[in-house]
Amino acid sequence: MAEKEKMKKVGDILLNNAMYIIIALAVVYITIMRPKFIELPSIINVLSLTAAKLPIALGIGGCIVLTGTDISAGRVVGLTACISASLLTKTFKVFPNMDSALPLPLVLLLVIAIGAAVGFVNGFSVAKFKLHPFIVTLSTQLIVYGIILIYLMQGVNNGQTLSGLTDGYRSFVTGALFTVGNNVAVPKYVLYSILLTALMWLIWNKTTFGKNMFAVGSNEEAANVSGVNVSRTIILVFMLAGIMYALTGFLDSARIASANANTGLNYECDAIAACVIGGVSFVGGIGRISGIVVGVVLLQIIFAGLSFLAVDPNMLYIIKGLIILTACAIDMRKYLVRK
Amino acid sequence: MTENEKKEPARGPATTAPAANQTAGPPLRGLYGQVNISVKTLNVIILVLAAALVISMAIGIANRGFMVNFDSLGGTTVESQKRMYDELIEEPEPPTREGYLFDGWYRDRDTTQPWDMETDTVTEPMTLYARWRQR
Repeated sequence: MAEKEKMKKVGDILLNNAMYIIIALAVVYITIMRPKFIELPSIINVLSLTAAKLPIALGIGGCIVLTGTDISAGRVVGLTACISASLLTKTFKVFPNMDSALPLPLVLLLVIAIGAAVGFVNGFSVAKFKLHPFIVTLSTQLIVYGIILIYLMQGVNNGQTLSGLTDGYRSFVTGALFTVGNNVAVPKYVLYSILLTALMWLIWNKTTFGKNMFAVGSNEEAANVSGVNVSRTIILVFMLAGIMYALTGFLDSARIASANANTGLNYECDAIAACVIGGVSFVGGIGRISGIVVGVVLLQIIFAGLSFLAVDPNMLYIIKGLIILTACAIDMRKYLVRK
Repeated sequence: MTENEKKEPARGPATTAPAANQTAGPPLRGLYGQVNISVKTLNVIILVLAAALVISMAIGIANRGFMVNFDSLGGTTVESQKRMYDELIEEPEPPTREGYLFDGWYRDRDTTQPWDMETDTVTEPMTLYARWRQR
């Protein structure tokens, strides 16, 4: 009997950690095949990619805690990336009449306001009309994409990729924070990402708003009865998420050194996958910032590793889809066996 | 699950009907509100999905290599190459075009970012574009 109990426990551990085990095995295999994978430049590469994808995941995490989701995230990243790239450039194709780039802080505030505005529309529709976030954010995703395409047709740009960003903007984001080892630079956006993570940790754990978010996520009615302003909480969570997407967009266009209509495409898939792997549960009201960080790191490790092996890129989409499904199944299982 | 339960709206934990035949623990809420599944079934699903994941990775590894395409933008066709991560591109025979001189391969269609065949290495599937100078 004790033996059987023990087997069950081992089985539980293996199943609940199936995703981590697969990723660990994959990393071991990749390292054996390409030992360069665990050398410094590769590690810094994974670190930088993680930093680039963290803010959007931190934003979406809040929406998932509310038992929602946000599939407009990637397009908001795209819009804010395009706006940043069009204003902080040396060749003004979207605004041919401009002759010098706007100040950096002004553009940053502008994109934050745009992200917050999209977030407000999402949050307001979810909170006031009781629409499912999927429907609302699907609509805003399409609307924002339309806006991106129209925006890129402005001036003399004709829908082309925006590039030629100012040196100030590029160095503010991708300049070396410090260098390690054999002149491998850690870019500045790693620091920004760490700061944003710390800020989100404070908001989630140390503020009334954060506590309200978890209360609404785990039981909206109970939260309402106990005096939480449910609508305001939902709207604020979506606005905060919108701001996070805007910051991702601002960093991304400088990181990639260009922006076009495809910037940010499918980013929400990665972010949602990272959250679910990191234990932000679709049952609502469950999740931790540290989990999101772990989720993003694991996803970046596995995908950096697979591209190190030059794995067929078409296959990566199938792998991503399966990762999300597996993570959801594990998430459900953990919830069901909890007593 | 009965027909009536299926028609229950999915939104919000408070409005979600508790599922009937779970083996243990509380019923699923939130986005899983409509899911009615036992832990045993989930175990099988997780194992199947994990196997599918490993098989997909194996298929991906079996078909590895990034396609490097050459768009000669009006010149003669240049054959694509399959390259592994961190490999150099084999310099192809330069394309030709009536009335123009070939001026190197570029990363973008606007030919602003040149590709150095000696030092630049492949990290993703990509297309290189030819630049032309009028003769």
